[in-house]
Amino acid sequence: MGRPMTDSQAYELKSMPRAGLQQLFALLVAQEFRLVGPTLSDGAIVFDEIATPDDLPVGWTDRQAPGSYRLEKRPDKRAFGFVVGPHSWKKYLFPARETLHRATFDKAANLWRQSDDNAVATAFIGVRACDLAAIGIQDRVFSGGEIVDQGYSKRRRASFIVAVNCLQAGDLCFCDSMGTGPEATAGYDICLTEFDHTFLLQAGSRRGEQLLAQLPVTAAAAHERDKLTAGLAQCRGQMGRRLDTDKLPGLLFANLEHSRWDEVAQRCLACGNCTLACPTCFCYSVDEVADLGGQPAQRERSWDSCFSQQHSQINGATFQPAIKDRYRQWLTHKLASWQSQFGTSGCVGCGRCIAWCPVGIDLTEEVAAIRNNASEPLSMPAYRPAAGAGSSGPFATLFAAAEAPVVAVTAETADTATLALKMPQAYRYRPGQFNMLSLPGIGEVPISISGERPGIVEHTIRSVGKVSAALSKLQANTAVGFRGPYGSAWPLAQCRDRPVSIIAGGIGLAPLRGVIRTLAAQQRQSEHPLRLFYGARRADALLFTRELSQWRRSGLRVAVAVDRHTPGWSGNVGTVTTLLRRKDMPARGLYLVCGPEVMMLAVVRLLRQAQVPAENIYLSLERNMKCAAGHCGRCQYGPYFVCRDGPVFSYDRLQLLFGKRGF
Amino acid sequence: MAVEQQTARPRLGVFKLTSCDGCQLTLLNCEDELLLLADKLDIVHFPEGASPGQPQGPFDLAIVEGSISTPEQADEIRQIRRCSRLLVTVGACATSGGIQALRNFADHEAYRKAIYARPEYIESLATSTAVAQHVKVDFELRGCPIDKDQLLELISAYLRGRAPAIKNESVCFECKRRGTVCVVVAADTPCLGPVTHAGCGAICPAFGRGCYGCFGPREAAATQALAAQMKTMGESEQQILRAFRLFTAASPAFEQESRRHE
Repeated sequence: MGRPMTDSQAYELKSMPRAGLQQLFALLVAQEFRLVGPTLSDGAIVFDEIATPDDLPVGWTDRQAPGSYRLEKRPDKRAFGFVVGPHSWKKYLFPARETLHRATFDKAANLWRQSDDNAVATAFIGVRACDLAAIGIQDRVFSGGEIVDQGYSKRRRASFIVAVNCLQAGDLCFCDSMGTGPEATAGYDICLTEFDHTFLLQAGSRRGEQLLAQLPVTAAAAHERDKLTAGLAQCRGQMGRRLDTDKLPGLLFANLEHSRWDEVAQRCLACGNCTLACPTCFCYSVDEVADLGGQPAQRERSWDSCFSQQHSQINGATFQPAIKDRYRQWLTHKLASWQSQFGTSGCVGCGRCIAWCPVGIDLTEEVAAIRNNASEPLSMPAYRPAAGAGSSGPFATLFAAAEAPVVAVTAETADTATLALKMPQAYRYRPGQFNMLSLPGIGEVPISISGERPGIVEHTIRSVGKVSAALSKLQANTAVGFRGPYGSAWPLAQCRDRPVSIIAGGIGLAPLRGVIRTLAAQQRQSEHPLRLFYGARRADALLFTRELSQWRRSGLRVAVAVDRHTPGWSGNVGTVTTLLRRKDMPARGLYLVCGPEVMMLAVVRLLRQAQVPAENIYLSLERNMKCAAGHCGRCQYGPYFVCRDGPVFSYDRLQLLFGKRGF
Repeated sequence: MAVEQQTARPRLGVFKLTSCDGCQLTLLNCEDELLLLADKLDIVHFPEGASPGQPQGPFDLAIVEGSISTPEQADEIRQIRRCSRLLVTVGACATSGGIQALRNFADHEAYRKAIYARPEYIESLATSTAVAQHVKVDFELRGCPIDKDQLLELISAYLRGRAPAIKNESVCFECKRRGTVCVVVAADTPCLGPVTHAGCGAICPAFGRGCYGCFGPREAAATQALAAQMKTMGESEQQILRAFRLFTAASPAFEQESRRHE
């Protein structure tokens, strides 16, 4: 699981007297590693900086139950005689708070200010097999895709891992069910097994082997090997929990309306503790912070959770308002969507979410309850390692923004403007994709690309929040930060040999304008009809009105409707769906749809009634996004990240969830 | 809304209704930042920081501390609203009615008679209520008292025209980010953290105490589920009632919960 750091070569198992542990620590310190490991604090075994083996919780163990954790004295002097505590190693690799970068240009130094690289070389002492697997999973999330989190990767490369095999299991452990433990098999530099008087040592990397060679070790005896095997077997037998993972992803998604979700929502506090204690949960928030003085604006990243309202909130909508929505989001992501997104479960069986839930909700119990009375499992989208093929190029970075001059601004409506940005020569995009636009000290938002001219890319922005308000009020000869393009594009190649209908609502016309322009230019040569159905709230909210007339002249069939009649409007009144007649919806046509979700839902219903196959319908979705790289977790939509797998989806991929509340 | 020119500094008014002045003191406690603040804002009215005078509107930004507990205050807040472009309430009193809203659960008349020798001279309302129940409020900054850094963030965000980075999550988020061991799980200590609005930095649990809920209920406050959990830990109905009926007793979520335990 994960990206093994371990060399393929097998190293010999060694034996070392207990006193050798001090030497191991000293050697690591001599190599300038900071040591972090388990230690006693506030009634628990937490991870903190340590100096000597005396700092370890020698002679202590933990007793855990749902919502309960207690320290107890052990009869022996074992230093690793416990399972896992409230902390996980992510606090070092993916810190709870981190300054990402400063967003102002330092004229004197002629550079963009970046945060200090705080990748301190760190040796993690006592990493359990479940936690090794968790680190492997976060490796996939942050550095396994096309866009790599450099800070995480630096910290990861600067780490040295001393693993520990578990010879005893806790009441909440179920690593055996998840296939992650109790034996550390990969991803470590040195693995320890603790006995009363000796440690067994196994190198897992060349540098681990080199270190081991300087320790007072001898080859492990046969009886010691037997003791290790027996200890691991005993540990497997002791696990207090198990999770049946058989067809679990499809099972959960087939049972999204199971009564158990309502039941657990009555007990769940939505406090977020399960996700924050989880060693694999990776959702984060990014906030612009700036003080009153002359300090440059900074961007700060902090742990977030799908149990916060702000996680799923965009201007005007919270996609997961109810506690039931949030718990279901968490469990289906952890145990199901994760498989489609990263090719692994998000759960390693450590039991932290059970212990540190103040009301003791036990996910193994919840899954078992859902298995009772369950509908047949669905088939889930397969994991595709290169899912985000669209997000590429030199400017599709993580948070490092380039500067784009604003060369022209066109007011479209009272609250909407189009910015023409001068892009670097190497910048390429496909219609349907989006950029992240930013203003230092104000914030960053995803904005779809609404058109282009040579060297220029356009963004049509409606003022709905603070950032979009500031962007839409920009004037020519200013500049914005940008990074991109990200995400998937409209299926232009498929539009050539068949009727195409474009159905847009409100600002939803903007991401479609690039496609319309391309197709309109080819329309004279085409024998297939090209139609545009466009709806807006009122006549004065209609976008690109001059261009609508031009498109008509070039052979596009354009139908427009407004929700409410206003003086001077002589056209259609009603929703955009009132424009769609059965004869306008041939089954072999291609349908590109963008607008408010409720409008898209109504359109999809009509198209499906007209026997249009799901794969001929394309939708563009909108969700909260902070990173655009599939890392921050905010734009999750079942098995997808809207930023990476979308925003443009063919409807056959969305059928699973589209129109369901709470996603 | 971004204000960049020094020449037209936004006019700030700080107002006080029924409160202890602690939140205004938070502004005064900004020491290092106070001069910067005075540089960026024209502090027109600030009773805790200057000799009181008649407020001279209009105000670009009004910061209001305290609850509405007298008929005059109900009028005054309407006047403040009328002459303020942006109205921000700060602290438990202004955002929920404060500790003085305990009167909402008692016999106001009896209290008045018991405390004052000449109750007929005392004109007060039977309830202490949040400012938002009287006028439109643009932002509520929680806390008893408010957190200095959050206040500065609010003002900085206003000056830059950005949304303040103030989260409406639970206190548990702050505990976990700072690595505090959960006092409920590890020590069976009753704690309102799961249902309380973040912002204090989770101070009490860091010192081994449960959260008292000074910042009031978070959105989606699952008070019933928490009360059930407190009961399994051995808390009495009276103890649960008191936990919810404290600094933000009259906030709808906490009031509803405390009434369930009457």
